[in-house]
Amino acid sequence: MRPLLLIVCLLPLAAQQPQAQPTTAAATTAADAKPAAEQKPAGDAKAPDAKAADAKPADAAPAPAPKPAADPNAENWLKGSIDFGYRWRSDVAGSMATYRSIVDLGSGPKLLGADFTIIDPKRRGFDRLDVRAYGWGGDPYSTLHVGLKRARMYDFTADYRNIAYFNMLPSYADPLLGRGITLSEQSFDMRRRIASFELDLLPGYWIVPYLAYDRNSNSGSGATAFVSQGNEYPVPNKLSDRTNLYRGGFRIELRRVHATLEQGGTSFTDDQNVYDTPGAANYGNVNTLVFGQKLNLTSLLATYGIKGNSVYTKGLITYNVASRIDLYGQFLFSQPHSDVNYQQADAGNLYLQSQILFYKSEQFLLAAASKMPHTTANLGAELRPVKGIRVVESWLTDRMHNAGSASSSLAMTGTGLSQSTAALLASSLANNYSQHQTDVIVDAAKKLTLRAGYRFVWGDARDLVLPVAGVSNSMTGTLRRNVALIGGTYRAGQKFVLTADGELGTSTGTYFRTSLYNYQKVRAQARYQVAKSLNLSADFLRLNNQNPTTGIKYDYLASQESLSLQWKPAILKYVDLIGSYSRSNMRSNLGYLMPQDLSQQQSIYRENAHTATGLLKVRLPHTATIAPTLEAGGSLFLSSGSRATSSYQPRLNLWVPFTTKFGWFTEWRYYDYGEALYLYEGFRTQVVTAGVRITR
Amino acid sequence: MSCHTNVPAGHTANLVALDEGAAAKKAVGKVPADVCGTCHTNVVAQFQKPFHHKVPEGAMTCVDCHNPHTATKSPILRSMGANEPGCFKCHGDKRGPFTFDHAPVKFEGCGACHEAHGSANPRMLTRPTVNQVCLECHANLPAAPSSVAGVVPPAFHDLRSPRYQNCTVCHQKIHGSHVDRNLLK
Repeated sequence: MRPLLLIVCLLPLAAQQPQAQPTTAAATTAADAKPAAEQKPAGDAKAPDAKAADAKPADAAPAPAPKPAADPNAENWLKGSIDFGYRWRSDVAGSMATYRSIVDLGSGPKLLGADFTIIDPKRRGFDRLDVRAYGWGGDPYSTLHVGLKRARMYDFTADYRNIAYFNMLPSYADPLLGRGITLSEQSFDMRRRIASFELDLLPGYWIVPYLAYDRNSNSGSGATAFVSQGNEYPVPNKLSDRTNLYRGGFRIELRRVHATLEQGGTSFTDDQNVYDTPGAANYGNVNTLVFGQKLNLTSLLATYGIKGNSVYTKGLITYNVASRIDLYGQFLFSQPHSDVNYQQADAGNLYLQSQILFYKSEQFLLAAASKMPHTTANLGAELRPVKGIRVVESWLTDRMHNAGSASSSLAMTGTGLSQSTAALLASSLANNYSQHQTDVIVDAAKKLTLRAGYRFVWGDARDLVLPVAGVSNSMTGTLRRNVALIGGTYRAGQKFVLTADGELGTSTGTYFRTSLYNYQKVRAQARYQVAKSLNLSADFLRLNNQNPTTGIKYDYLASQESLSLQWKPAILKYVDLIGSYSRSNMRSNLGYLMPQDLSQQQSIYRENAHTATGLLKVRLPHTATIAPTLEAGGSLFLSSGSRATSSYQPRLNLWVPFTTKFGWFTEWRYYDYGEALYLYEGFRTQVVTAGVRITR
Repeated sequence: MSCHTNVPAGHTANLVALDEGAAAKKAVGKVPADVCGTCHTNVVAQFQKPFHHKVPEGAMTCVDCHNPHTATKSPILRSMGANEPGCFKCHGDKRGPFTFDHAPVKFEGCGACHEAHGSANPRMLTRPTVNQVCLECHANLPAAPSSVAGVVPPAFHDLRSPRYQNCTVCHQKIHGSHVDRNLLK
C-alpha cells in the first residue's frame, strides 16, 4: 500500500505535466466551449460536479470562449494541504503492554495528513480527484482515500485502512499470575488491512450499474494455550485470515420507483498455526503432579486450513403507488460455506483423563464442513390517509440454518500403547426470527409530532450437536415479545428541538438469561440555541430490564445523562469553548450457581462513570501576518464499581500560520491510565508532535 | 436533522473527543463522527472509555457500522454482503459458518458479550472478567424447557483456581469452532 500512497502523492505532478504541454486544438476548443458559469474555482468543492451535471451541450455552444489567461481553474487546479512532522514519545511509566493495548503511538517521522483535490479544467478522463491520507509513518491507524469522478460517467472511490491491533493485558488471561508470571495467554500483535473499491457508472442517470471489491486481511502473531487433557500449555501462534468480497449490481432511480439489485460473493481463508518448537519441555499451567508424574509438552504443530465462500443476492424496492401510499420490500439471501482441514501433532508427557493413561505423542486429524443458508425478507407500507397522519406497517423475517459435520481420527502412542479412535459429529444451529410492527405518526400541531406503535417479535432457536455428549449438547429457545412504542418531537423554530421515545416490552420467552425480557427504555434528546453564540444539547437514556422467571431473576438498570455546549462569545472574539459532560450508571444482578460447589451466588456488576471533554480555543495576539492559535483541553473518564478505572488525556495545541501557505503546529498530549484493582496495568506517558503544514 | 445541510459554524468538530476524527472523516470519505456526535452525545461519551472502537482516533467513523438511512434491524446496523452482521466485514475470522457455533453470536450478535462503542472492561466486554460474562448464561441453574437457551452445558470448574478464572484460556474459540464441540481449539 505504501507504493500506492506514493503514487497518489505524485499524482499532482503527473497531472501538472500535461499543462506544460501544448494542447491539441480539439481539446482546447472543447474546454473553452464550456459556459463560464461552469468554470468555478477549484475551491468550490462541489460546484464543478453539480454544474457539469446540469450543463447541456446546447447551452455550451453559444457561450463565448474565455481567454485562457482568465481561466481560474488553470490557477487553482490543485488545492490542498500536507502536514508532516515528528512525534516524540517519552518513556512509558508503568505497563508498556497496557499502553500498547490502548494507545500505541510511537516516536518517529510522520506524514500526519495529506488532503488535496485536483480539478482538471480540461476534463481529461476525470473532473475531480480527491486524495486524503492520514497517520502514515508507523502509526497504528493509517488511512488513505482516493475519490475520482467524472460527472455522468463514473464515480470511483478507494479506501484503505491499516490498523494495528495489539492486545496484551496482564490481568486478562493469566493463570500463572499466582506464580509471579505476568503473561496473557490470550494476546495479539496483529495488523488488520481493509481495502474497499467501488465504481459507479453513469451516476445521475436513471440506472446506475456498479461494481465493488472489498478485502479484509488480518495477520500477525500472538500467544494462546494448547489445551490437552489435564493441562494447558501457553504457546505462540501465527494468525492469518483474508476475506474478499465481490459485488455488482445496479440501482434504478425513477420518479416513483427506486430499486437495487445486487449479486455478490465472498471467499475466505484462515491459516492459523499453533506451535511449540521441539526442545525444552513446556510444563503448562498445572504445577502439580498427576499420579506422581509431571505433565509436559515437548513439541506441537497444529494447523488450521480453513476455506470458505459465499454467494448472496440482494434486492430492494420502494414504490410510490399513489400520493398517499408507499410500498417497500427487501429480499436478502446468502449462503456461506466453510471447509476445514485441521492437523495436529504433539508430543510430551500427556495424559488421557478418561482412562487414567499416560502417553507420549498424538496425532489428530479432522475434516469438517458447514453451510448456512440465511434468508431475510421484509415488506412494508406507509399510508397517509389524511394530511398530518402517517401509518407505517412493516413485517420482517430472518431465517438462518447452519448445518455442520466433522469427521476426525485421533492416534495416541506411548510406551507399550497404540490407540486410535475415530469420531463423526453433526451439528445444527437454527434461528427463525420474525417481527411485525405498526407505527402511527401524527402531526398534532405545527410544532409537535407524536408517535405511537406496537411491535410483536417472535422466534424459535435450536442448537444441537450429535451424538449428544455429557449432560446435554442440545438446547432450544423461544422468543415472544410485545412492545409498545411511544414518542414525540417538539420543535420551537430552529432554536429548540426536543425528541423523546419510549419502549415498553413484555416477554413470555427469550433466548438467553441476559436478553431483554420485561423492559422499559426511554431516550430523550434536546438541542437549544440559547443565543447565536451559545448552543446546548442534552441527552438522556435509561434502560430497565427485569426477568423474574424462576432460575433467572435478572435485574438490570442502566442510565446515562449527557450535556454538551458550544460557546463562541461575541464579546470575546478571541475565545471559543466547547465541552461535554456525561454521567452513566449501570447496575446488574443475576443469580447463578458457583460451579465448584453449586452454591447460590449473585453476579453483581456496577459501573458509575463520569466522562468529560473540553476544548478552549484562544486566538493569541497577532501581527499583520502571523495569527497564532492556542487550544487547551482534553478528556477524562472516571469510573467506580466493579472495575474502577481512570483515564486522563489533557492536551495543548499551538498553531502558528506564518503565511497563508505555510504554518507550524505543535501538540502536547499526556496519557494517564489507572485501574484500582489491577495497579500493575496503569501507565503514564506524554507525546509531543511538531510539524509543518504546507497549503496550496 | 441537519446531517445534509450546511452545519452552522461550530457544529462541526464540536466535541474534543471526536476532534481527532477529523482525520477519519476525510480519510474514509464518509460521514464524520462529529456530525453524529452533535446529537448522540451519549455515544460520544461511550467512546471515551478506555477500550473502544477507534472512532476518536480516526480509524473508523459511525457509518462504518451504522447506515443512518435504513437498515433491516435496529439500531440501523450495516450488513456485510446481504444479511450478515456488519461486524464481520472487519472481523472476518469470527464470521463462520462454524461447525460448532456459539449460539449467542448468531442469535443476538456481538452485543451479547461486547459493548460495541466502548467499555471500561478489557476486550470491550460487558463485564470486567470473562468468567462473569460466561456464568451469567452458563449459570448451572435449571430453566424450564424451551424457555431459555444457554444454560447448558453447565460448568463444574473450580473458579478458585487461577487456571479456570478466564474461561477463554481453554475455550479460546469462543465465537465458534471449526474443530472442537467445546470450543477448545
